[in-house]
Amino acid sequence: MKQLIRLTVNDRALEVAVDPNATLVDLLRYHLGLTGTKKGCDLGDCGACTVLMDGKAVNSCLVLAVQANGRTVQTIEGLESAEGLHPLQQAFIEKGAIQCGFCSSGMILSAKELLDRMPHAQEPDIRRAISGNLCRCTGYQKIIEAIKDVAR
Amino acid sequence: MILPKFEFHEPTSVAEACDLLARHRGKARPLAGGTDLLVNMKKKVMSPGHLVWLGRIPELSRLERSNGTLWVGAGVTVSDIAASEAVAKAVSALGQGARALGTPLIRNLATIGGNIGSARPAADLPLSLMVYGAELVLAGTSGERRMPIAEFFKGPGLTTAREDELITAIAVEVPRGYSGAGYLNLGIRKSQDCNIVNVASFLELDEKAERIRTARIALGSVGPTPLRSLKAEKLLVGAKPDERLFEQAAQAATHDCTPILDFRGSAEYRRAMVDVLTRRTLAMAMAEARSRT
Repeated sequence: MKQLIRLTVNDRALEVAVDPNATLVDLLRYHLGLTGTKKGCDLGDCGACTVLMDGKAVNSCLVLAVQANGRTVQTIEGLESAEGLHPLQQAFIEKGAIQCGFCSSGMILSAKELLDRMPHAQEPDIRRAISGNLCRCTGYQKIIEAIKDVAR
Repeated sequence: MILPKFEFHEPTSVAEACDLLARHRGKARPLAGGTDLLVNMKKKVMSPGHLVWLGRIPELSRLERSNGTLWVGAGVTVSDIAASEAVAKAVSALGQGARALGTPLIRNLATIGGNIGSARPAADLPLSLMVYGAELVLAGTSGERRMPIAEFFKGPGLTTAREDELITAIAVEVPRGYSGAGYLNLGIRKSQDCNIVNVASFLELDEKAERIRTARIALGSVGPTPLRSLKAEKLLVGAKPDERLFEQAAQAATHDCTPILDFRGSAEYRRAMVDVLTRRTLAMAMAEARSRT
């Protein structure tokens, strides 16, 4: 039986009916149309589905939609503001940190959690912060440079 | 991957959670961080008909030190343990295990209760808790009981908890001065990997910091449950700590485990790494003990 939940996604208060066995990534992508959150391994290994839940970066494939009841979720779509792209998004473009783009949303959100907590994070902290996000294109170096650029 | 269907329960008290587990005995599983259980359900290794989620029970998330005991609620996340100053000060090796577990994304979800309750032989938190002599607080429909953590594990995924019981907290008596501990894990990569071998060591020295009074060594990923190395501990107690002694103890530890061969490593390699990690964690324990005297 579907269950009614209330949550805030990218500053929008929502009320949705979800199946208990639906995951947060499926709710975001298939019900809310927020396909910026990617679905990779679906087992918590790759980090493509990373979102911020109450400010913490989590694998949204390992969270049930019903567990997000009452929580605040931020996805990649929620980073852009009236002034334009988030500094991390801009830095990823400028530093060539995006190739195929599949890991980018997750990378940026993991980096955002770090910089919200530690605005001047150093390289070892940056490397640790994105250690749950796999990238098969860039070799990580450009991604680390982009995050370092914002942390400066 | 589609999760099998289940009925979802979100109790707001421990008593309510135990009642639900008892009512759906054999068909219910407690759900903590979900980083192990949901993966197993997606892989169809498990398909419980009822999930009893513990995330709405406020009393499970306390983390406090009172009267010489550190209380860690079963629902405290691994990232909170990794960042806790109280943990770093009182039981540093537990913090080391927390920082080694999974990835930042997993650590933000996974809980200490789940890491113990899932009873994985390679888990990162139980070994340090074992060498600190931690006790688990279990609550069930017939009341509460405490047991040393070592008595909790029966085999991979198997525990001595009854079907209506939950881990509610972990109690660690904060070790006195003259003592120290260390935890190390070895995987193929630093992050997001299952351990090949993991070891925790604890040493307590006498008042003159000359001889070892207490020694506890726990080995992971080299048997069906976390194991204590009694042979190594026996060598250490009463002896003067030095490099040679730690080498002998580490050698002895390799005879106290039953590693298997799998795609991560051979049994011989695991045994050799038990030697290395035991030696290194003993050195870490000694360094911390010295720094606290």
